[in-house]
Amino acid sequence: MVAVRQTVEHVENLEKYKHGFVTDIEQDFAPKGLNADIVRFISAKKKEPEWMLAWRLDAFERWQAMDEPDWAKVSFPKIDYQDSYYYAAPKEKVGLNSLDEVDPDILETYKKLGIPLREQEVLAGVIGAPRYAVDAVFDSVSVVTTFKKELAQVGVIFCSMSEAIREHPELVQKYLGSVVPVSDNYFACLNAAVFSDGSFVYVPPGVRCPMELSTYFRINAENSGQFERTLIIADKGSYVSYLEGCTAPMRDENQLHAAVVELVTMDDAEIKYSTVQNWYPGDPQTGKGGIYNFVTKRADCRGDRSKVSWTQVETGSAITWKYPSCILRGEGSSGEFYSIAITNGRQQADTGTKMIHLGANTRSRIISKGISAGRSSNTYRGLVSAHPKAKGARNFTQCDSLLIGKHCAAHTVPYIEARNGQAKFEHEATTTRLSEDQLFYVMQRGLSQEEAVQLLVNGFVKDVLQELPMEFAVEAQKLVAISLEGSVG
Amino acid sequence: MSLASAIRDRDVAELPSKRDEDWRWTDLRGLVRVLPEPSRPANPSSAGPFDALAGDVRVSTNGGTVTPVVIAAGETAAVALRFVSRGAGAHLAAVDVTVGAGARLVLLESYESDEASVAQVSLAITLASGAIVERIVLAQDDAEAVCVSYAQVVLGPSAKFHQTIVACGARRQRLETRVLHPGGGAELRLDGVYLLANKAHSDQTTVVTHTGTDGLTVQLTKGVVRDQARGVFQGKIVVDEGADRTDARMGHHALILSDRAEVDAKPELEIYADDVACAHGNTVGALDEDALFYARQRGMSQAEARSLLTEAFIGEVVDHIGHDGAREVVCAWVAERLRG
Repeated sequence: MVAVRQTVEHVENLEKYKHGFVTDIEQDFAPKGLNADIVRFISAKKKEPEWMLAWRLDAFERWQAMDEPDWAKVSFPKIDYQDSYYYAAPKEKVGLNSLDEVDPDILETYKKLGIPLREQEVLAGVIGAPRYAVDAVFDSVSVVTTFKKELAQVGVIFCSMSEAIREHPELVQKYLGSVVPVSDNYFACLNAAVFSDGSFVYVPPGVRCPMELSTYFRINAENSGQFERTLIIADKGSYVSYLEGCTAPMRDENQLHAAVVELVTMDDAEIKYSTVQNWYPGDPQTGKGGIYNFVTKRADCRGDRSKVSWTQVETGSAITWKYPSCILRGEGSSGEFYSIAITNGRQQADTGTKMIHLGANTRSRIISKGISAGRSSNTYRGLVSAHPKAKGARNFTQCDSLLIGKHCAAHTVPYIEARNGQAKFEHEATTTRLSEDQLFYVMQRGLSQEEAVQLLVNGFVKDVLQELPMEFAVEAQKLVAISLEGSVG
Repeated sequence: MSLASAIRDRDVAELPSKRDEDWRWTDLRGLVRVLPEPSRPANPSSAGPFDALAGDVRVSTNGGTVTPVVIAAGETAAVALRFVSRGAGAHLAAVDVTVGAGARLVLLESYESDEASVAQVSLAITLASGAIVERIVLAQDDAEAVCVSYAQVVLGPSAKFHQTIVACGARRQRLETRVLHPGGGAELRLDGVYLLANKAHSDQTTVVTHTGTDGLTVQLTKGVVRDQARGVFQGKIVVDEGADRTDARMGHHALILSDRAEVDAKPELEIYADDVACAHGNTVGALDEDALFYARQRGMSQAEARSLLTEAFIGEVVDHIGHDGAREVVCAWVAERLRG
């Protein structure tokens, strides 16, 4: 018992959030509040075509008629949607042509966060080291996208959403809102009305994207919400691996992050989507501040034999409420969901996935590892369903929860709907605490208690960590350690 | 918002609908557009399935009152409790069951309907410390009936409650059990079987709340659905803060034997204590092709092989029934339905 008590004490003495600094730069804001004029303001700021504005206004109208959902196992005071800025952007310099003209304070921010925005910095590493292109989103705008030229040579489009609306309207019009319809849910609808920026990726048929693509989201401005929209299309036989990372400054107020991510895969295409989410989680003692991370992520596996793999490491946010999902439409398509959700302090998470089997011989696999510590609450909620036409559908689900401390909570709420006789679904879930026996065993082999806990927790989440792209797995492992600082080193 | 209040107030607006989270797969409002007239008193006019096994048989026909079942401390009894619906009316029935300290009770409960009746039965079962109860429920409702059975069970310290529900479904059938589990050495076993054919629907819902330390809960529900039938299992285990050393295991396994049958499951854990071992497993699928092939190559026909495998699948639950006579009745009932 001593070991467990010490673990709990260590967890309580959390290290402070490392990304909590504020960048002091001049910013452009939309007036506070939300109405049709704000929607017009955002659209005008982004120099959008008429059809885009019409789309936004339609979404705004529908949003006003909707009620905020309350079914998740999270509790928070009512959000005042009028008390927030819906657009915040670093003051634009005229004729920004190269990276050198980006505000040095912003560059410094990304440097501090360890995100390489200069292509040569990425290249300066060891020869053969993996490279990745970055789209950096600062509050409401994308400040820079790297390696665009090199990607364009193989036909891959990687740019900010605003740019895509201007440069590739036919693709945007065809796919935007086709996976997550405008009025899909309350937060997705709000996003459709006021979304600011995000990444757009199109991988043409037969192309294997030559490098990892990634987007780094940073909330900086006070009292602002971030509403980014990401759209990734993998055409026939293509492959792309995409990673997103997120951080925000430490503030006493709650900030809303309501993003929408849409993925589309055609025949034989594959998208690997990884998230390392480290928004500011709020004060661990009082629960004050932190980001509300209410995100809609969905993949539409339209093509036969297409594949989408979601991997997420969720360590931040005051409240996480999201279910990256796969609609398995194409015959033989497959979806995967690997998740580590860690809550500590006063954090709340209600996250999981939906695997909707529509096509024949579709397969899905769900591995979810939840760790709750402190006074936090961690819920896995998931749906696996098979349509009558999904003959030979196959699902395996495993969700394990680990509890550290007397005052935390862990819940498992899976929904299983099998509508035909040829689907095969397996689900297993466990909830336990760190085993005293295992701790004792490892410690008697000479490891300190901290190292022992670290080893056991790493073992617990190993199945998911190994699904991350290698260079991020190391980062994620560190993040897991920091999130449970004291107990895992 | 319940079937009981809808029947009492004669108001369909009070029926639970699929918009209510607990009733998402058992929609009553969408089904019952008009509540039937209240049932008239009637005669059960047949024998119950467990009559021969109990010295004490109590019958509630069309909502007729039944004297509460009270077992004094230290006594042993077997009571058959029949809830019979005759005709197509609506009615409510309620019974209290109180079991004294150290007493033993075998409760043999049956639901029997013959037409499109709409009924809710509510039971309150209280076990004093050290009491041992085995509850066996045989729900053989009419294919057109709508029936909800709601049992609230409160366990005393070191009490033992063992329940087996066997159901063949109805137009809508819901068998719900809620248990307050104080821990302290109390043991709970909740088992269930559903065998559904044609358009039958059956919903087995359980909520177990562990409020004290050292509680044990074991659950196993198995179902076989064919044709266009729909089986629903919702199991929830709650472990309150401080209910340490709770050991809870839940299993739900279903066989779908046709292309248009459906199984919906929601095995839920809600844990507020850290020193616990809780797990659930859930599988849904068809009969194992390899096992079928093995049985066939030993000389069995396809039909024989199928019924052998399904009987063995269900047998695991039925074998847990402790009361010999009841187990035989249930065994025969299951075999008849699986072969038919």
